[in-house]
Amino acid sequence: MKRFSIIVLALAVLIPTALFAAGARDSGPVTLTIAGRDGAFGNAMDLAVEAYTRENPNVRFEILKLSGPELMEQTVIELRGGSGAFDVILIDDPFLPRLQEAGWLVDLDSMYRQKNLSIDSDLVENMVNIGRYPYPDGTLYALPHVGNVALFAYRNDIVKKYGYEKIALWDDVLAIARMVNRQEPGMVPVLFRGVQGNPIVTGFLPIFWAFGADILVDGKPAFNTPEARNAVEFFLELAKFAPRGVTAYQATQVRDALMSGVGAMAIEVWPGWIGDLENPELSDVVGKVIISAHPGQVNPSSSMIGAWMVGIPRDSKNKDAAFDFIRFLTSADVQEMMADKTGIPPTRHSVHKIPELVAKYPWYPAQLDGQISGSVRPRTDYWSQIETVFGDYLQRALVGEVTAVEALNQVQRRVEELLR
Amino acid sequence: MNQGKDRIAYNAFFYLIFAPALLVVLFLTIYPMSTIFYDSFFRYDFITGAREFIGLQNYTRIIGEELFRRSFINTLVFTISASFLEVFLGVLLAFLLYGKFKGKRIASLIIIFPMIISTMVICAVWQTFFHYEIGLFNYILTRLGLEPVGWLIDKNTALSSIILVDIWQWTPFAYLIIQAGMGSIPEELFEAARIDGARGNQIAFKITLPILSGQILLVLMLRTLDTFRLFDKVYALTGGGPANSTQTLSFFIYREGFSFFNFGRASAASVITLFFVAFLALFYVRKLLREDS
Repeated sequence: MKRFSIIVLALAVLIPTALFAAGARDSGPVTLTIAGRDGAFGNAMDLAVEAYTRENPNVRFEILKLSGPELMEQTVIELRGGSGAFDVILIDDPFLPRLQEAGWLVDLDSMYRQKNLSIDSDLVENMVNIGRYPYPDGTLYALPHVGNVALFAYRNDIVKKYGYEKIALWDDVLAIARMVNRQEPGMVPVLFRGVQGNPIVTGFLPIFWAFGADILVDGKPAFNTPEARNAVEFFLELAKFAPRGVTAYQATQVRDALMSGVGAMAIEVWPGWIGDLENPELSDVVGKVIISAHPGQVNPSSSMIGAWMVGIPRDSKNKDAAFDFIRFLTSADVQEMMADKTGIPPTRHSVHKIPELVAKYPWYPAQLDGQISGSVRPRTDYWSQIETVFGDYLQRALVGEVTAVEALNQVQRRVEELLR
Repeated sequence: MNQGKDRIAYNAFFYLIFAPALLVVLFLTIYPMSTIFYDSFFRYDFITGAREFIGLQNYTRIIGEELFRRSFINTLVFTISASFLEVFLGVLLAFLLYGKFKGKRIASLIIIFPMIISTMVICAVWQTFFHYEIGLFNYILTRLGLEPVGWLIDKNTALSSIILVDIWQWTPFAYLIIQAGMGSIPEELFEAARIDGARGNQIAFKITLPILSGQILLVLMLRTLDTFRLFDKVYALTGGGPANSTQTLSFFIYREGFSFFNFGRASAASVITLFFVAFLALFYVRKLLREDS
């Protein structure tokens, strides 16, 4: 009896203590570490974190603001190490399959189920599917945070001056570029990012697709096709009307040339770059630039999606808090706030339709269309290598070191070796 | 007998003291180097962790690739041009500023200034100087009625532009070492030469330079080994472009390792670079030791 009493007494003391300790741990302060981006993405994250902390004072944040390559390196090194140092990570969509394949991300479908929640249908389905592996209908590993879609920009006043109501074909772009070159001294007819690797390829892909070419056909490289040759030859012809230093042009140079009124057309702009296009304090072309889907050619226009996704590393020690935060980050209110204050493109139908935002960012309908029907870059483990090889040879063709055919043959050979 | 015991005790004590340092060296140098050497024989994807032994395939493929060969040649061109010009200009500066004169301390401070600034800051500044449309250099050229130059955007000038930045940053290092060497030469030696009727150039070429040959060789070695690993300036100024004209071995390794996470290929390229740097170091060290003896 004495023994029984001692056990009961011990349990009476230990159980409440354990419960209290567990409760205290749940409600105690949590620090979420976000591996994020620099620039406008970083500013948007600051705003979201500030708003979240107001509602959840027990959650603190550490935000790493890194450039794209730095973020990729640090993510891989950290996730491979498995120390659980990161709780939330931003991921560029072409890189997502590599992380998913490695099994480094938390299964969000399971988390939704565990918490009796469902994915909000207001999020653009095509954008949500980017976070699935296998793409597009597998398990969900990431939510769409930044709804970047590559778009085409042109000066409406100039295009109209040369008899065009809108630009439907890439041939129109070339014809207008020729006329601007002849008749508009001091004006740059065409702008794009010419830096080798990702920038030049990203700018070129809408042309490549519009000419009927593709990177991989049935999993095999398809660079040595007549369609690919036509696309590259067209690009080289168009590039004759680009600025002299286009091989060093990055997003900043394209944006500055467009917003200062020097550029007539930009074959690639991303909503994240041009948030201030209609801001009269920063832009000389308010109301003059049309941002639309890309022209077509052999094929109709197909926008290229370049979303930034947000996921939770498998080894995070604060998965529940991280899950709550990424849902908050992708909620309508937060997307509206981020879009309004930093120009970050939302990934929700409803936010694209807010009249104040549409007035501020007139390209929202085109952006939403692009998100709904746009294409993603090939889902392959080797995308970064393919992109690098393609970008290297594309730039070599651009500076006249090799012809379009030589460049494409080399890319075909190198990519075949890669995929072997 | 006692002497033998003492000797063993002495040796044991010596090894005991030496052991921690040896362990640190083994851990920090030998272990990573042997890991890289081992990995270089595998197809090794860092993300999935998949490894497959492929013998010398990484080496044969890399050596057969045009990009690697171009990176190697660019590295050699950069190393030879930058290190020799830096040492030459460093010697020239040390000669020009030799002796005591008013303002020497300030002049020396100004000269060594580039060396103490962060490379990334230097690159940001030079990038604006080199800018094709709004850069200082092209502004001057166009004011003089000359054609602007595509410093960083023309494949024929991009590598030379990076060499120029490196020379600007590291000539002060050569100057400092040579100047220290010149300061240690007794003044009487020059006076005696002058009394014997030696002219300035004879003193420079027949007395000063031979005495300084050890320092010159040392600074040449340090700059050669450093320039051979060129990465930061390429990363910040050109990203390896245009058209791979500024690709270097370090950049090649970085791309394979941290963009593609192909650790097998990155390791093989590192081993090739390591052997080449070791060969260069050995060449200089032998020369330096010969100088000493």
